[in-house]
Amino acid sequence: MSDGLVKILDGNTFVVSDSRGDIEGSLTDTTGLFSFDTRFLSEWVLTVNGQRLTPLSTDDLQYFETRFFLVPGTGTVYVDSKLSVIRRRAVGNGFREELQILNHDEKPVDLTVRIDADSDFADLFEVKDALKKKGTYSARVTDGRLVLGYQRETFTRATDISATAPARVDKKGLTFKTRIEPQGEWSTNLDVVTAAMGSEERRERPTFARPRGRQNMETNLKRWLDRAPTLECDWDSLRKTFRRSLVDLAALRFSPPIMGYRSLPAAGLPWFMTMFGRDSILTSLQALPFTPELAATTLRALGDWQGTRVDDFRDEDPGRILHEMRYGELTAFEERPHSPYYGSADATPLFVVLLDEYERWTGDRRLVRELEYEARAALNWIDEYADLMGNGYISYQRRNVKTGLENQCWKDSWDSISYRDGRLAGFPRATCELQGYAYDAKMRAARLAREVWKDPEFASRLEKQAADLKRRFNRDFWIADREYFALALDSDGKQVDALSSNIGHLLWSGIVEKPKAKAIARHLLGPRLFSGWGVRTLGTGEGRYNPIGYHVGTVWPFDNSFIAWGLRRYGFKEEAARIAAGILEAADFFDGRLPEAFGGYERTLTRYPVQYPTACSPQAWSTGAPLLLLRTMLGLEPVGDLLVVDPALPVGIGHVALLDIPGRWGRVDAFGRGRLSVGEKKALRQSQEAMPV
Amino acid sequence: MKEETKTDATAEFFGALAERGHAPLLEWAKGTVRFELADGKRVDHWHLVVDKGDLAVSRRNARAECTFRADKAVFDRIADGKVNATAAVLRGAVVIDGNMELLVQLQKLFPGPPAKRGRRRNGASGRRRT
Repeated sequence: MSDGLVKILDGNTFVVSDSRGDIEGSLTDTTGLFSFDTRFLSEWVLTVNGQRLTPLSTDDLQYFETRFFLVPGTGTVYVDSKLSVIRRRAVGNGFREELQILNHDEKPVDLTVRIDADSDFADLFEVKDALKKKGTYSARVTDGRLVLGYQRETFTRATDISATAPARVDKKGLTFKTRIEPQGEWSTNLDVVTAAMGSEERRERPTFARPRGRQNMETNLKRWLDRAPTLECDWDSLRKTFRRSLVDLAALRFSPPIMGYRSLPAAGLPWFMTMFGRDSILTSLQALPFTPELAATTLRALGDWQGTRVDDFRDEDPGRILHEMRYGELTAFEERPHSPYYGSADATPLFVVLLDEYERWTGDRRLVRELEYEARAALNWIDEYADLMGNGYISYQRRNVKTGLENQCWKDSWDSISYRDGRLAGFPRATCELQGYAYDAKMRAARLAREVWKDPEFASRLEKQAADLKRRFNRDFWIADREYFALALDSDGKQVDALSSNIGHLLWSGIVEKPKAKAIARHLLGPRLFSGWGVRTLGTGEGRYNPIGYHVGTVWPFDNSFIAWGLRRYGFKEEAARIAAGILEAADFFDGRLPEAFGGYERTLTRYPVQYPTACSPQAWSTGAPLLLLRTMLGLEPVGDLLVVDPALPVGIGHVALLDIPGRWGRVDAFGRGRLSVGEKKALRQSQEAMPV
Repeated sequence: MKEETKTDATAEFFGALAERGHAPLLEWAKGTVRFELADGKRVDHWHLVVDKGDLAVSRRNARAECTFRADKAVFDRIADGKVNATAAVLRGAVVIDGNMELLVQLQKLFPGPPAKRGRRRNGASGRRRT
């Protein structure tokens, strides 16, 4: 891992440790065992005869399992030890650590093995913002177990630590005394179980479930991979990227406690392992041809939590789809609004878009009928609550000015929405892609209304509204002399005129009038936006352009996957293939795991994509990007009960076969061969020969 | 017994539910919920049956698929929108036993915070440009 930290996880339980497997967390150090947005272990340090250990190697066996090979002692230039220490740790409901010590000497050895354990029960937000705790801590030893606790009024959290080998347990950890014979070994299992929710006052004691078995999780991962389509192709790198995406998507699955065992994609590992409206929806869309069940759970869960009231603290309105859900102490005491928080302007129309796309792939009309009320409420939100300026466009402005989100579109950093001269737009802001999503939502809902809900009158009304929106949008957002759409309209209804990648999302939504599409495609692949790897978030020459600015110049793989989809929608096959090729070649430099974003530098200048430093990897929608690019290149499109395949692949990719694509047609195969010349490169790189970054 | 001087938000809430009889938001929900609301030494019981959006409220002390336990003082504040039910569950002020999925349906029935003066739906009058 680039930051030297080792992360393993299962759902929203995860461990971040150093390369020895130790945890020494503080409000500024993010190591720990986390579950439900709370740190359940902030100290977990292994010593042998009073000495810390030195790592020889770390194996990431699976996303939920790691093995550390260690020797006693630190700080020496070379290691000459007669002892090996192996820690094998798997995350479940907490974690299980198998600790094994081997004696390679001809003499027996007497050892004192010690685990120091403690917890600060910090909320994730506290770790990020270094805040102070308000409750009280406890530590008690019962039945040979150490139970660490935290209580603030009725809020309780506990960590239960036990071992299978005989141990002396005190309030600060566990001590093992053992003698290991020559060439012998000693081992113990250490179980750490987290307990959340419920109240200790009212129950006899919290129920500690056992950690889930490793066996189970392995079977689960295997089944997941077996059920997804198989990719055959000549390009090694693409095969690797594809497999990496599927495995990472498995790791990013998250089962909210209220969703039974069904799972949906969380936003990112490890800090964003929770329901996010926008991220869960877009990732589900990307993954639809591969793992459609993610979309079904996403729709159900987001529908269940759809806003029902006006609540300024949560920026909630009736019909609004949530932005983010959290379970930690600050949320529990309403010091943060994430129970859930609704400050997102795009999740609501995108919810309707996903519902339609899901039905087109799966034919699951039952879910469309089940969610009719929610879909109608979402459409109503667009008209009745999202039009803050009364000009017929979605715009956003937070009502919770203390802890709400200022930017409620995907480009959510403070400086993302600017004019060409670099000035920032005031609020409310009506960014252009939101209007595209609204248009698409209405058009798609019209189809559902006609075909599933049997309400042709509603369908006609939606189509009329959509047509009207399209006409107005193409008039009000179009910058005639530059031939692209403004990034946004400001609070005065004036154009925020920077050139941005958002125009690509407009193609995806279909709101662009045909005659204007060519100019948009030209901009997207032109020198100001296209870096050679992909489309920059902001064009070079714009006032705020910065090749390593988060939303003002970097290239986002997820953004590009939707842009490529949009280009295909308007018939720009070659342009879509160029973007797909660029992003997939970039993936090779990251071992098949695309980062959230990378630098917007010219490809010819740096030769490799410069990674933008971010806290989360993998990121769900970056993981989904290669999947959507594959769909785009193969031209997969459900038409009635058939899957149409219309491949447009870059030269050098060779032969591609995607087998067993699930859908309303059962399972079908798609084949393609690279024929399109997409740029200066004769052939795509065959393997990773350049430096990793 | 103490005489109640203030209005009882909990009774009003359940009364309104009974009067409503049907909640389209719960169209696909089915199940029974038992409320145990501790008021000093007394425990008030409410029983709610949800059947495809139809709501039936009673004071029966009966078993249910989901039990919702809280102090009545807490529930009063949930019932009038001053406390968020989900947050209350997270901090253990409300304890749920049984079917958690019903809780998600249930939280939709609770009102939002008391309206601020003159809040409108849209910022402007809702007039559309054409």
